[in-house]
Amino acid sequence: MFELFNPQVAVQNVGPLLAGLLITVELTFVVITLSLVCALFVALAGMSRLAPLRWVVKAYIEVIRGTPLLLQLIYVYYVLPEIGIRLDAFTAGVLALTLNYSAYISEVYRSGIQAIARGQHDAAAALGMTHALAMRRIILPQAIRIVVPALGNYFIGLFKDTALCSAVSIQELVFTAQVHAALNFQYFTLYTVVAVMYFAVSFPAARLVNYLERVTKRGYRRRRA
Amino acid sequence: MTADARPMIEIEGLHKHFGLLHVLRGIDLAVAVGEVVCIIGPSGSGKSTLLRCINHLEVAEQGRIRIDGELVYRDEVAGGFRAHSNRAIAAVRAQVGMVFQHFNLFPHLSVTGNIIEAPVHVLRKPKEEARRRALELLAQVGLADKAEAYPEELSGGQQQRVAIARALAMDPKAMLFDEVTSALDPELVAEVLTVMRDLARRGMTMLVVTHEMNFARQVASRVIFMDHGLIVEQDVPERMFGAPRESRTRDFLRTVLER
Repeated sequence: MFELFNPQVAVQNVGPLLAGLLITVELTFVVITLSLVCALFVALAGMSRLAPLRWVVKAYIEVIRGTPLLLQLIYVYYVLPEIGIRLDAFTAGVLALTLNYSAYISEVYRSGIQAIARGQHDAAAALGMTHALAMRRIILPQAIRIVVPALGNYFIGLFKDTALCSAVSIQELVFTAQVHAALNFQYFTLYTVVAVMYFAVSFPAARLVNYLERVTKRGYRRRRA
Repeated sequence: MTADARPMIEIEGLHKHFGLLHVLRGIDLAVAVGEVVCIIGPSGSGKSTLLRCINHLEVAEQGRIRIDGELVYRDEVAGGFRAHSNRAIAAVRAQVGMVFQHFNLFPHLSVTGNIIEAPVHVLRKPKEEARRRALELLAQVGLADKAEAYPEELSGGQQQRVAIARALAMDPKAMLFDEVTSALDPELVAEVLTVMRDLARRGMTMLVVTHEMNFARQVASRVIFMDHGLIVEQDVPERMFGAPRESRTRDFLRTVLER
């Protein structure tokens, strides 16, 4: 009997697919961690008093925004070896995704920092704080709070974008499904399981972002007993 | 008013432009230790800009500023200026307290956190000592029970009193007040002025930009009337409010006192 969804095939393949999902999640967390840090330096450099530094940052952001992520991945994995930089697939994927997400997230940081009222800078300066101290103690703690929901949305996007890494043979979820589908031709079953797996992670994550958004809007009042 | 003659703030020939607008057109002013000088004048006359130049939140193009006898923010070199380092500028600001129209409390820190922030991170005072001093200052401004509150839980008048305590926590040599009651609901103005009156009585050197004529009349040792970037007239409050010499001062006082 012809059937679209084959439960037996689904069960047989759930193990390898979960292993793929694990790689996807790993990739996501490594890139999140790296790009949260890198983006901060990019954002601060983009607001530097040194004009050439600002230009470099601006150019980097525009290039990243103006080219497809898939191309950036392919570039890092296939083109860099031609100039002697050979990276394994996972490292290449991490590098390309981090370059891409650091550019976007630096813009999120920048808007967060610029959303802090001028008066906060004035008050910090008037108390004798240097620019660096004011940034660290006064501006960034407030800016980070503002950008948390936006960052959350970027990370859900990243979780899904890691699927592009299948193009550079990282054995994440989509790649694993492709390999197995090529063997047993059970496209409907395999890709449906894959879709369910992505959704099962990103839907709760989206709810969490919504929750964080509500919490950060609540202001700085602490609930006291 | 007992003001000893030693000047705390001295300003000579200060000029400031915003683009084509000549906001300060040659200001000379000295404030003695313990003196309370109130600056009045129409909006746009340069009062706030003058105050912001004194702690370098605005940079004047021309002129000298001395604080406690020291030439601050830049040195004069042949044919121009050499700006002091950012660190040196910050060190001067740490000695001059400033209170703003919109309070500018740090919303992510508690009242105590706001007050101890600069003593701990700029003056490197031990946290416990800074905290003790913060509680004393909160008592002085009548907010001993708000130490753990967050700024958003306070009324405007309370926030402004915290802002005053925050500035005082640096043990400043002088305090600058920039229209500190202008953003307050009328019924909250008095509590802030009471704190300032108390501060004046304790001998703090104060430069106060204000629209509160009664405060200027009662507390100031000297009142300055500014218009179009110049000091038009200055005198003790009795004469300034009783018998102003300049017609511009008379016109201004007539409009504000009639209300």
